[in-house]
Amino acid sequence: MEAAELIATENLSKAYGSFFALRQLSLGVRQGEVYGLLGPNGSGKTTTIRLLLGMLRASEGRATIAGFDCWRQSLQVRRLVSYLPGELRMTGSMSGLGMLKYLSGLRDEESLDRAAAIAERVMKLDLRRRVRKYSTGMKQKLALSQAFADPVDVLILDEPTSALDPSARADVLGLIREARSQGQTIIFSGHVLSEIEAVCDRVAILRLGRLVHIEDMHVRRRLRMLLIRFAGDPPATFPEELELTLRERRGPALLLEHRGSLGPLLSWLSTAAVEDLAIGAEDLHSLYNRYHGPDVVENEVVVS
Amino acid sequence: MNPFLTLIAKLFRDVRWSLLFSAATLFALGWLFVYVTSLNESKIRKALAAAPGKGGGFGWMRSMGMGEQPSSAAIIVGFWSHPMIILVVAVWAIGRGTSAVGSEIERGTLDLVLSRPISRSSYLTAQIVASLSGLFLIALSLAAGAAIAVRYNVLGSPPGFGQLVRPALNLAVLGLPIYAYTLLFSTLDHVRWRPTMLGSMLTLAGFIARVIAVIPVFKDMSWRPWVDQASIFRLYDPVDAVTGREHFGFNVAVLIGLSAACITVSHLVFATRDLPANG
Repeated sequence: MEAAELIATENLSKAYGSFFALRQLSLGVRQGEVYGLLGPNGSGKTTTIRLLLGMLRASEGRATIAGFDCWRQSLQVRRLVSYLPGELRMTGSMSGLGMLKYLSGLRDEESLDRAAAIAERVMKLDLRRRVRKYSTGMKQKLALSQAFADPVDVLILDEPTSALDPSARADVLGLIREARSQGQTIIFSGHVLSEIEAVCDRVAILRLGRLVHIEDMHVRRRLRMLLIRFAGDPPATFPEELELTLRERRGPALLLEHRGSLGPLLSWLSTAAVEDLAIGAEDLHSLYNRYHGPDVVENEVVVS
Repeated sequence: MNPFLTLIAKLFRDVRWSLLFSAATLFALGWLFVYVTSLNESKIRKALAAAPGKGGGFGWMRSMGMGEQPSSAAIIVGFWSHPMIILVVAVWAIGRGTSAVGSEIERGTLDLVLSRPISRSSYLTAQIVASLSGLFLIALSLAAGAAIAVRYNVLGSPPGFGQLVRPALNLAVLGLPIYAYTLLFSTLDHVRWRPTMLGSMLTLAGFIARVIAVIPVFKDMSWRPWVDQASIFRLYDPVDAVTGREHFGFNVAVLIGLSAACITVSHLVFATRDLPANG
């Protein structure tokens, strides 16, 4: 049985004059899910997040978290949510520990000990140092420590690894998995496709403020790409039970997408006039390029 | 500590040095003006002693009441209209008003605070409480400086701290509308420079209007009362606050009323506006 939707948007739009930063976004994020938001700068990811946090008022439509309206009941929403801003700024005069005390003090529930433990043990931060002496990455680690320590149902992470070194990135992905295993719901907005691919359950791709595609990553991980060169003319159709989808025709060869089980496929291949065969997986980059690659027409509307 | 108090504590921490500097400046000025008053009074007393009787060369002083009942408090607080004192209060008020929202958005530090469960109204109230507390502390430090200096200087009629508190309150209340309209500009904006500029221009315009209104040459001009009415500085009268108190209540009420109106509008604006990412 599928988990209930904790976060929902219905035709959510945000316009600045005649410019739409977000247009008719409808999506649902299930409880305990890691939901990726993908898209280039200006595609509407941060606008979506700010609408969810009640920092922006929707021009049309609405967004809810756990049934609370994100604008009218923003305070109740923010009790359930912890947020890591994409462009992180902190008061430099405080020590790392002082900043954690301050941030945890802004929430009624006590989370300082856990935040300090994550910051020192996982993020390897010296909490006695002043924040102004932290590098950008260290500040990000500090804010991440607080976000993961907050006793909340929803984590919204806007480019959480943008300033981190590779080992810290791996730690953050580990913390995201741990948070999911504890039942937290996570919105992960980012540009590093491999990270999104590694931790997300579903991914929404945005373009020019529109939702253009939602990908179930569990299905995607089972997906295979087949490049088959046939001895003669390639077949025009395939048996339905194989769940093969033609992606591209390259002369006598076909690029096919396979989502079904392997047994029937191998049986069919053994009987077909196959001259050469390559089987591989398709990474998220290929999917992303379908909507943001060089061949995409600028104002083309893609139906999800 | 609850979130509101956490925010207040953080705001006091942020402003502690500017608060200390402003309070120390006014404390020193309070002390200085008592010292100057003491010197003047001693010169006057000497002059009166050298010319006994009402027909003497300095008899006019006695006829003004300075021989019999020199009001040291009135002379001391007469100095409290000095532009330096008003400048310290105005700079504090404009600085705090502008940093409440506009500069927090510009710095990008508002996101981290308002993503926590703090209502916008609580956030703004914390800003107002911290800033106005600072404003009153600064003004009271002027009275404190004067009250302590009174113990170390000879005055005809040394005023008590209670007498000096009223004009200090008048000064603090003068800072209220300056803070409040700058706060309003700040809640409408997302940068620091614009509310600072608007707040400074409005304050300066009010001050210039007051200066023009009291220049004797313009006394009979038909526009003079209008110019005078347009300035909040006419509602700051420290001598009246310590002596006659004819207008003290009215002045304070009008200044508080103006401030309350601006603060109410600021709350409404801030509660309904979009908060963009920094800059």
